[in-house]
Amino acid sequence: MTRRRTQRSTDGAPTLIDCDIHQRWKDESEVIQYLPDQYKDRGLQAPEILYDNVAEFSRRDAIPDDGSNPGSDIPKMKDQHLDEFGVDYAILTGNSYLNLTALPNDDYAAELAVASNKWAIDRWLSEGGPFVGSLLAAPQKPKRMAEMIRNLGQHPRVVQVVMPMAAQLPYGHEYYWPMYEAAEEMGLPIALHPYTEGHGVTRPPTGAGYPRTYFEWHTLLGTYAMGQLVSLVAEGVLPSFPDLDFVVVEGGLSWVPHFLWRMDKDWKALRAQVPYLEKPPSEYVKDQVRFTTQPIEEPDDPQHLLQILEMMNASETVMFASDYPHWDTDSPLYAIPPMPEEMEAGVMAGNAQELYGLPDDPASLPAK
Amino acid sequence: MKKRFEVCPAAELPPGERTITDLNGISVGVFNVDGEYYALKNDCPHQRAPLCMGKVTGTTSVEHTGAINWEDNGHILRCPWHGWEFDIETGRSVFNPNKVRARSFETTVEPADEEPTESEADCSSIPDECDCGSSADEPPVATYDVTVEDEMVVVYL
Ligand code: FES
Repeated sequence: MTRRRTQRSTDGAPTLIDCDIHQRWKDESEVIQYLPDQYKDRGLQAPEILYDNVAEFSRRDAIPDDGSNPGSDIPKMKDQHLDEFGVDYAILTGNSYLNLTALPNDDYAAELAVASNKWAIDRWLSEGGPFVGSLLAAPQKPKRMAEMIRNLGQHPRVVQVVMPMAAQLPYGHEYYWPMYEAAEEMGLPIALHPYTEGHGVTRPPTGAGYPRTYFEWHTLLGTYAMGQLVSLVAEGVLPSFPDLDFVVVEGGLSWVPHFLWRMDKDWKALRAQVPYLEKPPSEYVKDQVRFTTQPIEEPDDPQHLLQILEMMNASETVMFASDYPHWDTDSPLYAIPPMPEEMEAGVMAGNAQELYGLPDDPASLPAK
Repeated sequence: MKKRFEVCPAAELPPGERTITDLNGISVGVFNVDGEYYALKNDCPHQRAPLCMGKVTGTTSVEHTGAINWEDNGHILRCPWHGWEFDIETGRSVFNPNKVRARSFETTVEPADEEPTESEADCSSIPDECDCGSSADEPPVATYDVTVEDEMVVVYL
């Protein structure tokens, strides 16, 4: 295997873009101050995860020296991850607080999302440097979120919208379309990120129901992504919003070829049910959906994973993600199998640079 | 021949504690498990996380499904990244002891050397990473009668 670069590129195009980094607040009060007055007393509330992770939620070595939350200390994050591996752009995906979108009070959930986005812009994106970020959207309040996307989405370092992987209805449903209109208009892809599965007002974390362990919950994250994707295809979101891209974060990717094959096979017989699909479903997905690597599958023979990457045209559809600082962080140096040069360039940086429209030099991107 | 490194006075590393130190450019975690000392390379064989910063814990065994026992408390090191479990004594992983192993080093408790050792100098040069209590400013330990307090945790690399 050729050793990957560990230095941030000093000129030319980026060589490493990390598409899933979780920044965090040191203290909730940082965000509460952005809430509308009627919710300030209530503070931040979200359904807790039901499943205990024996391997812990965040990396122990990512705890800052002052004992505060992993991911809350910019110098520590730079030192331990961004500079260590030469990350040119860190796509911030939020505070691991996606569960605030799983609350039954849709108005409160939406305002929590707005507040945490304002915090992320002021605290992190205005740092500039490698940081670009996401607007969390609470899907149960689509019109309010559309307004937010048009408003906060103007910040030059906001590069996408992130929605929880699990909600009340599958994401193809027309109920959500106002958000898609806004995101397409603003040129912002929509990332789907797990955590809410089985929590609050969402559906059970697996099609089989509520499992007993985190082991089951985590193993099946990809199946939830499949449910959302097939809905986005079948309800016509992808053909109706041809300039809107989706990103599946933290669902793994080995299931993608099988998923595409099944859709194309069924489409041949069942096309009459989805007449707005003018080409095989897999083509919409390959054009408009991107998949991030983490947690990457680890077959005994890395060649098997490489074959899967080839089957899903990873040179154009897959983007590297570490999930720093969480327990299942993938190392940019050791997690990804050896890949042909062109595929590696696309996966490690090129695809993300193109999707998010990032300039070669992060310093040229305004921070305010 | 293996090189001898004094890590810290035994009294400064009580049962249940660990210290991570740099020995000859290699980051090594030294653990006191129930009064015995063990050293592992601070480098996880999976994705090279700083293994020795993980949680010292126990693990489970099962009589039959539904009845899980807790065992080996204090003997298991769990990698701070993906949570793989390693036996601190041997470096062997719990899930595949014969194939997946962390590198381990011979560790003893011995009287301090008359001369200051290399590791003491190394430790003093990286104060943030080393809480072994030694300092280059301290005088070398002289040839007094050896008591428990004088004994050093020693790692052979
Ligand atoms: S790096 Fe230690 S378990 Fe993955």
